[in-house]
Amino acid sequence: MAGKPVRPVNAIDQTRRMLSLVTYLRERPGARIADVARAFGITEDELVSDLDVLPMCGTSFRGGDLLDIDTDGERIWWHNAAALGEEAAEPLRLAADEATALLVAARAVATLPGLREGDRQALLRATAKVETAAGEAGDASARLSVTFESEGGVFADVDRAIAERRRLWIRYYSPARDELTEREIDPIRLVSVGHTYVEAWCRRSEARRTFRLDRVAEIKILDEPSAPPEIELRDLSEALVQPAAEDPEVVVEVGPAGRWVAEYYPHDSADELPDGGLRITLRTPDPASLRRLALRLGGDGRIVSPPELADSARRAAREALAAYDQVGHGDVEGQRL
Amino acid sequence: MAIAKAERLMNLALCLLGTRRPLSKRELRESIEAYLEAGNDDSFSRMFERDKDDLRELGLVIETVENLDGEVGYLARRDSNRLPPITLDAEEAAALGLAAKVWQQARLAGAASGALQKLRAAGLPEDVDPYEAHGALEPRIPVHEAAFEPLMLACRDRRPVVFDYRKATAAHPETRNVEPWALECWRGHWYLAGWDRDRGAERVFRLSRITGKVRSRGTAFTAPVPDVVTVRETVASWAGEIADRSALIRLRSGSGYPLRAKATAVRELGDGWDELEIPYGHGLDAWLVEFGPDAVVLEPAELRADVVDRLRAVAKG
Repeated sequence: MAGKPVRPVNAIDQTRRMLSLVTYLRERPGARIADVARAFGITEDELVSDLDVLPMCGTSFRGGDLLDIDTDGERIWWHNAAALGEEAAEPLRLAADEATALLVAARAVATLPGLREGDRQALLRATAKVETAAGEAGDASARLSVTFESEGGVFADVDRAIAERRRLWIRYYSPARDELTEREIDPIRLVSVGHTYVEAWCRRSEARRTFRLDRVAEIKILDEPSAPPEIELRDLSEALVQPAAEDPEVVVEVGPAGRWVAEYYPHDSADELPDGGLRITLRTPDPASLRRLALRLGGDGRIVSPPELADSARRAAREALAAYDQVGHGDVEGQRL
Repeated sequence: MAIAKAERLMNLALCLLGTRRPLSKRELRESIEAYLEAGNDDSFSRMFERDKDDLRELGLVIETVENLDGEVGYLARRDSNRLPPITLDAEEAAALGLAAKVWQQARLAGAASGALQKLRAAGLPEDVDPYEAHGALEPRIPVHEAAFEPLMLACRDRRPVVFDYRKATAAHPETRNVEPWALECWRGHWYLAGWDRDRGAERVFRLSRITGKVRSRGTAFTAPVPDVVTVRETVASWAGEIADRSALIRLRSGSGYPLRAKATAVRELGDGWDELEIPYGHGLDAWLVEFGPDAVVLEPAELRADVVDRLRAVAKG
């Protein structure tokens, strides 16, 4: 995995973590820093910063009630674990936000079409146990829900190919060009962000590509082994498709009814226009692919630049209108399927 | 140097959890160095109240008890703060490990890790790599909308809210008074369902169309909260996923794969064109225009006219 992003120190999260650490360390004298950091899902630096704070904490700062916890850089020692009564170090109940965060996520993943049945069952069992342990704190989780979209059959094949390290053949639809292409890909991982995608090494373009599962028209698991080169995986906190700085710029002006463009297309800027519309600047490696957008917008927007793109949309619309003239409504009467 | 907030919160938590009798504010101040250094009584009191709220947000149940002399004391009883026994096997632990990484929203990501850490402290099995158990699967719940956190809290605490909302086709936002019920994420976008007070009806809002701040109202809900809130059905109908009619279109051979995938019947015409019957719901006209000269609507006349209107707008643009 790529390095964890550096998180800002948040006093609430750190306090929550230190309370659990106290319980955890009490049971494990001489615990290794590396093991504890992994168990807590934090970096060793984050753990060390907790270990700097803990000796300042206790039931009183007077009379030796502070926690005598220290580390030699490898292991963690707690010299006066009795300073905290047996009871004061018991695991704490889940807070409403904690129960909500875990339960909503677990339920969402469990509904992913294509998930292995064993994994789904494990998620459902774990969810039920956490619901019971959370009690009322879990009630608020009913106020949030998340659905991941996926094509179950394609998902299962990709998942199997990754597990068995095998190459895939796909017929893939590209909306930008309205065409299906055949490719061989070496799958790396499945990513669900609303829609589900497979991140893969594409053997046709010899580059990393992301494919949306609902655009895979056909899929076959090949006998050849998958051998994606070692590449640094994308940081999933960013949009999956990132335009490059050198990509050509496209400027679109939309009226109020075309404001959705700013919600669906990653863009550099969206400036308000006096009529309630937007002037949107975006970049794409292939401006011609935005002809679809220009057509879709109809009277709700127009391409300002590049002019070739605006021209091609106009041409396409005129051709289409000509086709309507040829295939009149009357011609097909009585020719129902 | 000022004492870090996490250290102060931790000390307050340990004092409240460690005591068997209620501790007064005065006693707490004497036990916690940061409070001694807090300056005057007012600033100490404000700090103490905030800290107590923060600890409650972390799940600590803190009781306020008045003794015979009328002095107020505080304690966090073990009975009300102990995690009930929970035993999870290695597979279940891996499943939760995966779920805890899903949120891309700071508050919920922190809360999910916090939950997992509490379960670790309670003996959740370790050394299970969720990637081993779940293949190379990485689900992520995206939260880009600023309105998410205040609305999540308002739904949780059942507090009415006010916000400016710009409808999909409106030039200017309007102020909406809403009793928020539930939030749902579909296809990567968040939606709010709730009771619109001014319209006296249930409404669904897309969070990305909320402009400005979400303010909460101190009043209570006036409408009953339904047991089941259906956000997705409403949004699916906006998206034209609910088709109640059928359209007949002519499509150039080899083009328009997504239309073919939806088609209920396909007939090859042999002259480079195919004829398809496809379900017809809201928004189909805009979608068909995208295919330009490769798609021609035959029926119904109304859809045909809508598509021609759109094409004319582009042609003259």
